[in-house]
Amino acid sequence: MAQHDVEITITKTGEVKVHVKGVKGKGCLEYVKWLQQVVGKVKSQTLTSEYYEPDVKSRIDARQQVEDKE
Amino acid sequence: MSAIIILTPVVIASWPAIAAAVAGAASAVGLMVGGVVKESGKEAVKEESGQQVEVELADSEVLAKDLACDKEIVLTKGDIELRVSRDERGRCKVCAKGKGHSKAELKQLAEQFVQKMTQCFIYNRVASELKNKGFQMVNEEVMKDETIRIHVRKWED
Repeated sequence: MAQHDVEITITKTGEVKVHVKGVKGKGCLEYVKWLQQVVGKVKSQTLTSEYYEPDVKSRIDARQQVEDKE
Repeated sequence: MSAIIILTPVVIASWPAIAAAVAGAASAVGLMVGGVVKESGKEAVKEESGQQVEVELADSEVLAKDLACDKEIVLTKGDIELRVSRDERGRCKVCAKGKGHSKAELKQLAEQFVQKMTQCFIYNRVASELKNKGFQMVNEEVMKDETIRIHVRKWED
């Protein structure tokens, strides 16, 4: 089980800053897409190092391939 | 950390959702909901002197369901009156007027109200969508600068 944390800051002008934590890989982009539908236009987007980490599924798949080859 | 996103709000909703945000913003700014929902255009034209200012929500659209185009909400604060309605292009607009007040004063109040209304609308929408997505509230606080901070969590397989 992975813990997904979302910190949302709504300024007094209505601008929204969202910090998505604990979501590895492209699952993060699903959150971005969803939040865009909920709030509005994306002004800026920064992907952090965790985004580039493989998610759990792809890690298991890679290990299986190695085992198969052996 | 995964991603940090900054989003500009777009207010697209049907009249009931707009009305809920108007009510929330009105109490925050100290405005009284003077009349419930009135039909605009049918009211007798009163002879009133005094300044009048219109402020429009730039990225907004009031969906024309429920005959939203004929409705408006009247808010009052002393002798200042704010009217929230849908204009011909479907945008949400706020009209402020009041005797003995300058245009600058009225504009300031209208803009303050529009900002608060946008914040209330976004808060209502985000809170509802987070609940639908199965998030659990970890913490929620309103900061001194009126910023709302929400921390939610979900467990995924």
